[in-house]
Amino acid sequence: MDIPWAVMLIVLPLAAGLMAFVWPRVAQTLVLCCSLAIALAVAGLALQLWHHGVFHHALGGWEAPLGIGLYADGLSLVLLTATALVGMGVSVYASAYFTLDDAHHFWPIWLFLLAALNALFLSADLFNLYVTLELMGLAAVALTALSGGRDALAGAVRYLFATLSGSLAYLLGVALLYHAFGSVDMATLAGRMTPVPAAWAALGLMSAGLLLKTALFPLHFWLPPAHASAPSPVSAVLSALVIKASFYILLRLWIMLFGPFAGDGVAALLGGMGTAAIVWGSVQALRQTRLKLLVAYSTVAQIGYLFLAFPLAAAAWNAAAVLVLSHALAKSAMFLAAGNLLHFGGHDRIADLDRVVQRLPLSAFAFALAGVSLMGLPPSGGFIGKWLLLEAALAQGRWDLAAVMLLGGLLAAAYVFKVLGHAFTQAAVTHEPTAVPARMEWAALLLACSAILLGFTATPLLSLLEIGAPFGGSGP
Amino acid sequence: MSAAFFYALAGAGLFSIGLHALLAHRHLLRKILAINVMGSGVFLVLAAMATRNGIAIPDPVPHAMIITGIVVAVAATALALVLMLKLTAETGQAVLPGRKKEDNP
Amino acid sequence: METLIAGAIDVALALAVVGLAWGALASADLFKAIVLFVAFGLVMALVWVRLNAPDVALAEAAIGAGVTGALLLAAYAKLRAASPDANVARAGGMRGIGSISIRILILLLAAALGCAVWTLPSDYAGLGKEVAANIDRSGVSNPVTAVLLNFRGYDTLLEVMVLLLALMGTWSVGATAPQRETAPGPVLDSLSRLLAPLLILVAAYLLWVGAHAPGGAFQAGAVLAAAGVMLLLSGWRLPAALAALPLRLALAAGPATFLLLAVITVLLEGRLLQLPPLWAGRLILIIETTATISIGATLIALFLGAPPGKEDRQ
Repeated sequence: MDIPWAVMLIVLPLAAGLMAFVWPRVAQTLVLCCSLAIALAVAGLALQLWHHGVFHHALGGWEAPLGIGLYADGLSLVLLTATALVGMGVSVYASAYFTLDDAHHFWPIWLFLLAALNALFLSADLFNLYVTLELMGLAAVALTALSGGRDALAGAVRYLFATLSGSLAYLLGVALLYHAFGSVDMATLAGRMTPVPAAWAALGLMSAGLLLKTALFPLHFWLPPAHASAPSPVSAVLSALVIKASFYILLRLWIMLFGPFAGDGVAALLGGMGTAAIVWGSVQALRQTRLKLLVAYSTVAQIGYLFLAFPLAAAAWNAAAVLVLSHALAKSAMFLAAGNLLHFGGHDRIADLDRVVQRLPLSAFAFALAGVSLMGLPPSGGFIGKWLLLEAALAQGRWDLAAVMLLGGLLAAAYVFKVLGHAFTQAAVTHEPTAVPARMEWAALLLACSAILLGFTATPLLSLLEIGAPFGGSGP
Repeated sequence: MSAAFFYALAGAGLFSIGLHALLAHRHLLRKILAINVMGSGVFLVLAAMATRNGIAIPDPVPHAMIITGIVVAVAATALALVLMLKLTAETGQAVLPGRKKEDNP
Repeated sequence: METLIAGAIDVALALAVVGLAWGALASADLFKAIVLFVAFGLVMALVWVRLNAPDVALAEAAIGAGVTGALLLAAYAKLRAASPDANVARAGGMRGIGSISIRILILLLAAALGCAVWTLPSDYAGLGKEVAANIDRSGVSNPVTAVLLNFRGYDTLLEVMVLLLALMGTWSVGATAPQRETAPGPVLDSLSRLLAPLLILVAAYLLWVGAHAPGGAFQAGAVLAAAGVMLLLSGWRLPAALAALPLRLALAAGPATFLLLAVITVLLEGRLLQLPPLWAGRLILIIETTATISIGATLIALFLGAPPGKEDRQ
């Protein structure tokens, strides 16, 4: 019997979320079981895709364009894997991080966020993507504001307005596409697409909305305050997964709908914004005095790399997918490690990180490993992604993009070593440490190790990405 | 030209007015009103264009999408209002605080 | 002659809608802005009627103008209580070059959108025909209900989750100012006693009639919420015994039933939410009934803001 793993990926966290809402006492066990179940389901889906090719599921028994379709190919699988792994790490971390009251609120919203992410990566319908985007966005905002505090609330409110206006711009684009071509199903639209003004307007609107949600420079203003002041497990998932979701949609739209007629001008613009993001984000990260803000600006910079793939087109999509996965693992590990440091010292001022390496060796090591992946040093997932991107750039004679990548790597090294340097030395003012639960340290370390291990799995990863030829233009 | 196009232009106008208000006002309640107006603009474009042909066979799919959108909008509005109230309780003012000096020298 | 009048009505409504929105967003007084916004919502409901979308008109009037208006006014009252100078007209705003460039950009955007809308093909190629062809197998005869609960039921499943999620988020942010228990005036008191049962009846009617005429779970749930808000305003509170687990069960009942049905359909039919045509009508009624209860409860709880039992402890 063919088990519908994809359906389970959506249904399980929704059901668990409802149960966690009604019975808070069983919530924690429920979450840990659910994360494990999600990971197993993703593995099952991978096997299913490997043997049977792409997965189509017409929801309600109604074929598109009347009904909504689920669709899974290699690209969805990579993002689902990122969700499953980061989901497990953050669940374990959060089980020790929150106070009991906060935890009772955290678990159901967290499960709904996981459900929204899975539903998003499996959807093939533009309006359904809008609903999943809103589910994800509201959950993310609620989690950002969870522990209260002026900074977190302000960050959450700014984030909420950014995400809502982004969704509405996206929805207006969907409305124009529906009325121009008569469907919201991506595959049907791909067949009917022509470069009429409505299609151009839809391209502009949907891109603007999704770029705002992905926080690409110069639309990144909301990200540092939100990611830095959220509770650490939330920061991890925001940087690792939530901003990748809108990038995923943008990538799909580009490859299937807009790429063929949008041409080189738009691609060059996206590449230019990516370049600016890398430079600006890295420089800002270097200037920070607080650890979580540094990591947040690092996210702004790393997102830029993903958009360098647009001017490089077909050769670089694989690189973008690998970078998404490696950044998800590395950045979540980095935020969790930073959270440990914050929990330990009661503050996150970089200059006052007091001999952390001796006192929190696991977290410091996790931070260092995550930094290796972000810098793009071998062996790591980040190295594979950046290598593929560099290869594509050099093959097309884009020395400018190659130079930007190298500059970005150097700047990343600079801000990572800035933190590690202070972690080795004694601070001017010492303080009484708070013990960090072992679970939190190990969660950070294991995520960081998986970012490194990704570097050894390049070949199977790339062959998984080929399933369904997501970058060949066929797609859903 | 039919009424449908006229309403759709009104919808585009609402979206633009709402966006301007979102960017121009600092008070959070006004921003929330602006988001709602933007949403209504999008819904108007969806429904207006669905009546282009006269009503031979009315198209219920945009209507269903709009109902979904209205519910999502009220959910978002409720969350936004609660966050605004909590922020006002913390800072005394219903506006987003400006950048702090020590973050970005 | 008729088309001329119809055209005049359309022009008037469209101008009214844009005018009210402009007034609401540009008004100096915050209370006036909210009132204009509610008026905007009601005129939008009329526009939906003109656009042959009675289901949307009901939803807009009940949820878009009604519930949203109630939420805004409640928030405004709490804002006034928290900081008396909340009625600040425009607390700053953008100055100089920034303001002008924003206005130019928005004008360009409006022009681009207008051009895109104008050039849409005049022969409509929507999904009306597909819906009409399949509606006999959907279990209901109201096309919008068929789309919402059968053809695109997955979207509705996620949507009820969004509503519940907003409540979870609201509860997690924590209670704000304590609710003062004022004794209701005689008008509100007697009115709420009269209207509340009537509204519940209207909600039940809207739920039942949604299968073959404009109506449905969302509209019914919003009317239920109106009854609940009125009771809350006249001082009624949920008894403490019901405020914990039973309330959460009521809130989760709609989404849970929908999800359970979805799982059963996967096990029996192989496709998520594939309703067998013979049973579809009854299943849709079950989903809508539990959804109405949950939607009503959720909207009432969103209006209250704080988890019941928490607000008195301040």
